[in-house]
Amino acid sequence: MHDRPPVLEVLDLRTAFPTARGMLQAVDGVSFRLEQGRTLAIVGESGSGKSVLSRSILGLLPRNAETGPEGRVVLNGNDLTRLPERSMRKLRGRQAAIVFQDPMTSLNPTMTIGSQIVEVLIFHMGMTKATARCRAIELLATVGMPQPATRVDQYPHQLSGGMRQRVAIAIAIACEPSLLIADEPTTALDVTVQAEILDLLQRQVRERQMSMILITHDMGIVAARADEVAVMYAGRIVERAPVRDLFHQTRMPYTSALLASIPQIDGGRRGRLEAIGGRPPDLVDPPSGCSFRPRCRFASDKCDMTAPPLAGTGQHHFACWHPL
Amino acid sequence: MVDLASLRPVEGRASAAPSDRHARAIAEHRRSRGLGVVFWLSASWLTLVIVVAAFAPLLGLVAPDESDWMALKAPIGSENHILGTDPLGRDVLSRVIYGARVSLTVGFTAPAIGVGIGLVLGLAAGYYRGWVDEIIGIAIDSWLAIPGLVILLLFSVLYGGSLFMVCLSLGLLFIPSAARITRAATLTCTGREYVIAARALGASDLRIITREVFPNIIWPLLAFVMIDIPIAIVVEGSLSFLGLSVQAPTPSWGGMISEGREYLEASPHLSLVPTAVMFLTVLSFNLAGDAMRKRVSGGRSGAI
Repeated sequence: MHDRPPVLEVLDLRTAFPTARGMLQAVDGVSFRLEQGRTLAIVGESGSGKSVLSRSILGLLPRNAETGPEGRVVLNGNDLTRLPERSMRKLRGRQAAIVFQDPMTSLNPTMTIGSQIVEVLIFHMGMTKATARCRAIELLATVGMPQPATRVDQYPHQLSGGMRQRVAIAIAIACEPSLLIADEPTTALDVTVQAEILDLLQRQVRERQMSMILITHDMGIVAARADEVAVMYAGRIVERAPVRDLFHQTRMPYTSALLASIPQIDGGRRGRLEAIGGRPPDLVDPPSGCSFRPRCRFASDKCDMTAPPLAGTGQHHFACWHPL
Repeated sequence: MVDLASLRPVEGRASAAPSDRHARAIAEHRRSRGLGVVFWLSASWLTLVIVVAAFAPLLGLVAPDESDWMALKAPIGSENHILGTDPLGRDVLSRVIYGARVSLTVGFTAPAIGVGIGLVLGLAAGYYRGWVDEIIGIAIDSWLAIPGLVILLLFSVLYGGSLFMVCLSLGLLFIPSAARITRAATLTCTGREYVIAARALGASDLRIITREVFPNIIWPLLAFVMIDIPIAIVVEGSLSFLGLSVQAPTPSWGGMISEGREYLEASPHLSLVPTAVMFLTVLSFNLAGDAMRKRVSGGRSGAI
């Protein structure tokens, strides 16, 4: 289904951080494309490089981060890795926006939520203060904020976590970006609120024909809300497929281990929850060959020698010498 | 007769225990929310000193350098001179009030200079990191390697008697600590998600520093200013005691204490009055500052 134009194309993206022990390769050659109106879920354990990947896309890395020179991030035809910081600023928030994990810390505590939305509208859309304020109230209503006209003048600490995440979403969609990155948008929220926020995101994305990258470690979220899934392990995409294929024809042992570790409600009361043995690899000194080898039941000498490339037929790609 | 006092605790324990605990919790809550009696006492004294010093010329006082030759070394409580006079017949009350102007000027100006410059340096170092941070760090360490007293003495030798130079030299000494505190607060603040979020929305560095970082580090910095003010007042007092601050006819607390030294036995009030006023003022600044710091770090203001 490559008929629709890609909104985002990422090619061989690499990001590393200097540490006391050496370079930590957080993102190690990631490539993917995302078409308009589609949602790509990026799944992985903590430390698999999901968040660093999302920040690398928009150039939001800390100053000490080093990005590979071959990496390309093409958003709506512009290569962001070649863009000067000035143009990047114009584009961030306008063409691509991020919803962060923890709404407790992603809003400025010293500004009212209204002025945080208004600032973005004035900066990117060139609105006057008055129109921007009206638009801010509209946006708050759109994201399901009760009494938006009063809430607009409140500070973040006066709102609950779920409400704050709604504000964060309102800010993110304020300028109708073509790409929305949701970086674990519900991890910090109550379970009861999680579904509401995900529904809201899904509805906004669909209504505005936005593309979304949904970063999560929750396979349960993925099944219902994404079109495509990319599983990340040790900074690489190890399996990528449309949701249905990934769940029904899992090829990569790591993905299958991840799926097995989801608690099943009909799994029997005494059934032990599957855990993935071992630890995620050390990214400063990664294992040779396939990075999942030390934890893999099917590992062979070949896995030790060379890392498997991400390959496959059609839309299902995986990086494994011994696919299931 | 029934001894009420012996009954009351028993009664209280039996029936009122839960509400008692409740009341205590409320009181505790109030205490932690409010600033406390000590703060308000300190604030009242400071307000008094500041207002009186600011409006000194309008208070109808005897001029601080005007001698009353009929009342030399008058004791406290004399007619026309509530706090007495010095050996030149000058009114102690008037001199203490005019002396407050010197102390307060230094107390406010020196930290303002120090924190102003330190703020800019600390923000730059903490926000930009890298070589900016290193250069500023080296500059501050070098500045700290010069003894403060040497700098103060150097300034007073070169520009002896100028109030502004006293403020400037003291202010320069406040730069390192102000810069370090700002840098540390900036570092934590810059790592917060709302700063990254602001960048993700296209904010420029200047905008992030002024709109996101600055409002969130200003409170710990103000608490720091509250520590610097009394230090500045004490140091100015010491300098004028040594005769290195504002010069003679201009009254200053340190200068008055110094002048009164020779008459400690016969007229102790000459030294004691300025000492007491300075003591109360410095103590009030410290106590008020403590209360504010507790409020900032204890309350959920998201400052530190």
